Amino acid sequence: MSDTKGSKRSNTEEEDGSQDSKRLKMANGKTDEKYNPYLAHHYDDNDNSQNGFQSPLDQLQRHNTTAQQAAKLEDLDANPWTSQPHSQRYFGILKSRRDLPVHKQRQEFLDMYHSSQILVFVGETGSGKTTQIPQYVLYDELPHQTGKLIACTQPRRVAAMSVAQRVANELDVELGQEVGYSIRFENRTGPKTMLKYMTDGQLLREAMHDHDMSRYSTIIIDEAHERTLATDILMALLKQIAERRKDLKIIVMSATLDAQKFQTYFFNAPLLAVPGRTFPVEIFYTPEPERDYVEASVRTVLQIHAAEPEGDILLFLTGEEEIEDACRRINLEVDDMIRESDAGPLKVYPLYGTLPPAQQQRIFDKAPEPFRKGGRPGRKCIIATNIAETSLTIDGIVYVVDPGFSKQKIYNPRSRVESLLVSPISKASAQQRAGRAGRTRPGKCFRLYTEKAFKGELIPQTYPEILRSNLANTVLELKKLGVEDLVHFDLMDPPAPETMMRALEELNYLACLDDDGELTKLGSLASEFPLDPALAVMLISSPEFYCSNEMLSITSLLSVPQIFVRPNNARKRADEMKMQFAHPDGDHLTLLNAYHAFKGAEQSGSDVKQWCHEHFLSARHLASADNVRTQLKRIMETHDIELISTPFQDKNYYTNIRRALLAGFFMQVAMREGSNSKTYKTVKDDQLVMIHPSTVVSSPYDWVVYNEFVLTTKQYVRTVTNIRPEWLLEIAPVYYDVDTFEKGEIKTALTRITEKIRRRQAIKGDR
Amino acid sequence: MGLAGAKNKRKLGLDPNNTKWSRNTDTFGQKLLRAHGWEPGQYLGAKDAPHAERYTEASNKHIHVVLKEDNLGLGAKRNAGDECVGLDAFQTLLGRLNGKAEDVLESEQKEREAMKINAYLHRKLGTIRFVRGGFLVGDEMKPTKESVETIPTPSAGASKDSASEGTGKSESTDRKSKKRKASEDTDSSDSDSDIDSEKEAKKARKKEKKSKKRRAETDAETDAEAARARKKEKKEKKEKKEKKRKTEEDGDDVDSSLSDAKKAKKERKERRKERRERKEKRREKGWKEKASSDSESEADDSISREKKRRKSKGDKSAASTPLECSTFTPGGSGTSTPVPTSIRFLSRQKYIAQKRMAFADPAALNEIFMIKSVQA
Repeated sequence: MSDTKGSKRSNTEEEDGSQDSKRLKMANGKTDEKYNPYLAHHYDDNDNSQNGFQSPLDQLQRHNTTAQQAAKLEDLDANPWTSQPHSQRYFGILKSRRDLPVHKQRQEFLDMYHSSQILVFVGETGSGKTTQIPQYVLYDELPHQTGKLIACTQPRRVAAMSVAQRVANELDVELGQEVGYSIRFENRTGPKTMLKYMTDGQLLREAMHDHDMSRYSTIIIDEAHERTLATDILMALLKQIAERRKDLKIIVMSATLDAQKFQTYFFNAPLLAVPGRTFPVEIFYTPEPERDYVEASVRTVLQIHAAEPEGDILLFLTGEEEIEDACRRINLEVDDMIRESDAGPLKVYPLYGTLPPAQQQRIFDKAPEPFRKGGRPGRKCIIATNIAETSLTIDGIVYVVDPGFSKQKIYNPRSRVESLLVSPISKASAQQRAGRAGRTRPGKCFRLYTEKAFKGELIPQTYPEILRSNLANTVLELKKLGVEDLVHFDLMDPPAPETMMRALEELNYLACLDDDGELTKLGSLASEFPLDPALAVMLISSPEFYCSNEMLSITSLLSVPQIFVRPNNARKRADEMKMQFAHPDGDHLTLLNAYHAFKGAEQSGSDVKQWCHEHFLSARHLASADNVRTQLKRIMETHDIELISTPFQDKNYYTNIRRALLAGFFMQVAMREGSNSKTYKTVKDDQLVMIHPSTVVSSPYDWVVYNEFVLTTKQYVRTVTNIRPEWLLEIAPVYYDVDTFEKGEIKTALTRITEKIRRRQAIKGDR
Repeated sequence: MGLAGAKNKRKLGLDPNNTKWSRNTDTFGQKLLRAHGWEPGQYLGAKDAPHAERYTEASNKHIHVVLKEDNLGLGAKRNAGDECVGLDAFQTLLGRLNGKAEDVLESEQKEREAMKINAYLHRKLGTIRFVRGGFLVGDEMKPTKESVETIPTPSAGASKDSASEGTGKSESTDRKSKKRKASEDTDSSDSDSDIDSEKEAKKARKKEKKSKKRRAETDAETDAEAARARKKEKKEKKEKKEKKRKTEEDGDDVDSSLSDAKKAKKERKERRKERRERKEKRREKGWKEKASSDSESEADDSISREKKRRKSKGDKSAASTPLECSTFTPGGSGTSTPVPTSIRFLSRQKYIAQKRMAFADPAALNEIFMIKSVQA
């Protein structure tokens, strides 16, 4: 409508726009008045007097806009979305936005967007897709007309927050108003929100209550190449929803290579590729395999520093210990080098997930200046895990050193162990790493392996998370999402059948699924908690043990990273401090003690940060545990789960907690092999395990419950608590039905205990 | 690491893969999947999905993991041949039993021996990297295809003379070629972009090195004048080609040509570096000589020696891009990391060396087991 009328007139832009908008407004608006040419002067008056109120957006026709129209609107003095005049910096940002590679293809994008329901968009890092595409969609979807939102998912919380902030600045609106974000435990959106950045998991949680995602007109899945668990499920769901809701538009954005796979998956959706702003990277291999990749990488960094022109270095290693070790070695060697030659300064920064944010920020510091003017260049060297591979962009990196390894979490459904082992990366990942060198200028990537190894020993793609994880939580979510047939659920990479079986079995034992595979009431309730099913069930049944407050705290502490800090240079003192909180019967109880002490310190008004520092506790993780606790508490309250405690003086205070643990974790129990042995055997799976050395339990019982079973250098169970076998028979009689056990020590032990209980009851009965 | 390696005992359960569970067809999960139409051996996922051909093995069976307990680089094998102990005495016999021809056996034996001597040298002194330089056929330089070349480090005093001779010679040619290159560079600087010229310079430097090596190696008494002329010709040709390719590749790069002054400065710096490097090298030679003649004092010296060696290595690679093309003595040592050289490794290294001497030295073991080498 606006188009035809707009084209008739050829006045100035300003006038044209305002008049048209007026007319459209009338047509849309509450009154039935038609545009009356005889009253034109009235309208004109109106328009001149208050240029803001009628939105210039009204001249646009939904799903029929052009890049030119949008650009015009962006150039206006007033913000079309808020009707407020634009701020000063807006036009500066606008200019830089128009320099982004993706801007050149705005019209092409819109054409494809109009013609297809699903669109696959490939843009390398630096193309501007994450910030720009949602805005292009915004100017085309015109959410203020439909009342439906545009969602853009991100795999990481931090990305969702920072990108939302950035886009709010670009649109010149306040974060939380027109542009907002929603992540687990934090929601910053309002009634005016039109564009919403969120984590993929968050959108999935929303979908549980809104199976058609009817709030949204467009869903953009960003960083789809990362293939997180939630992204994979979201894509499968959207594929289903797209059939039901023809008005829903879907854009899948990926940074790399494997776009064809996305295309085939989404009914051969059209593909739009935007070149990134990257420079060529020269790749070097070693002629022969390296004997020691850490040593070789240290040496390569030093060689680069000695021989190559200016530019920062990024070295990929696998874990905290290795990184810290390499940092030390490089620092020592560089000191030597500076002493004995005129080498430039080299600053070394570690970067890994558990590093405090302040230290993580240091990687963005400027490289040091050369010692004297015109001297050899100073540079920085960042030694990182693979978080620097995709999630973080550091400018100034020119050299990448890639030993070809990373640590990967892989779940084994047979033994139910989660391994965290150093393993070769994939080809795609190697290319990503190399690409990091070409962000600012042509770079070099030194691969510490042979070309043959690259071609022959690396798998093409990193395994997506869904193939590497325990799926108990996922299956529960899928059931809640209304997926009936798990066998034929159309995932991009279906998990191994055994993994699925194990998940179903666990959920069945937890009574979240009934024997027909249907969601039970307990299961439905458990899925309301953003927790693993075992933790959720434990929390839900905790009132039966009169300790739901305590279990709530323990659950929160288990859902954040380790709160005990153990710095390399003060291990002994850290361990001593930890012993202050230690409870002889278990690590769970120790966690609780530490938390209570933390709350005590908080209430007494002392400096919490200082207190945590003195006690080798992570203030950050405790604070986030506190936050998680508040959120979980809210969920419990809405579902009428009682919050009660056993009085602390009661001798059963800790016993109750230990018993309550079993309500969720009865499948994670191990029995000691011999009377004095250090090895334990997991129940039913018969895996030999050790108790992780970080435990505080000095005299473990014959039976322990554990929070996780990991394979690092050995098979360890971590976070253990002593339990009595009688409790097992009482709390989880189905799982501990002696008849289902194979012949062996565990069966013998359980039979003996059953006998004992029977005798005891018989004696009681006699009296 | 063989016998000298760290022992790692691991206790395994009766059924570490828990086949008991995986074979059990009565589990709840299996029953439920079957009820939905799944058969053992099938993938999960949509029926006849078009993307099914892209499924990986991980959709069939869980991903298998390997416990990696060492810092072995990607592709490197433990016992990559340099650790063959004792057994090689039997290799010929075994080969004969397997019906191998006599000449094959002989060549294999020779290979093993070469491997051993290389491994010995590598362990004792570390190895110097060399770069391919092409062949001198008639009066033309011919580039060769990538292949590896063995040049053991000259170790004893006898070879020292020739080595220093070689260095001396290359010094002079170096200096000359430097001058030539400088002028050449200024000639062609107009159209060069920043990066190109840098790369070119590197190429040229590498070439120089190559030629140096050749000289040192063959002691060829060719007419330097003529050779230079030839080389120049060839290089120019090559450069042109190089340039063309480069410009095609990164045509949109900023075309900021380096100023002549800057280039000259760079040249000076290079020359300084070169000189420093040569000095280091000579010193290192000295060290090595000393070390080999006086093995007792080795341990005391090696701290500083190692340091020196590393430094010189770094400097050397200043002349060429590190790691680029520089092949390493093969002999199946299987690595390009020479023995750990850091101070902090010294005590450990010493310990390992001792252990090796006792256990892993084939000669010693042969003696212990009273195995007479077939050849001997």
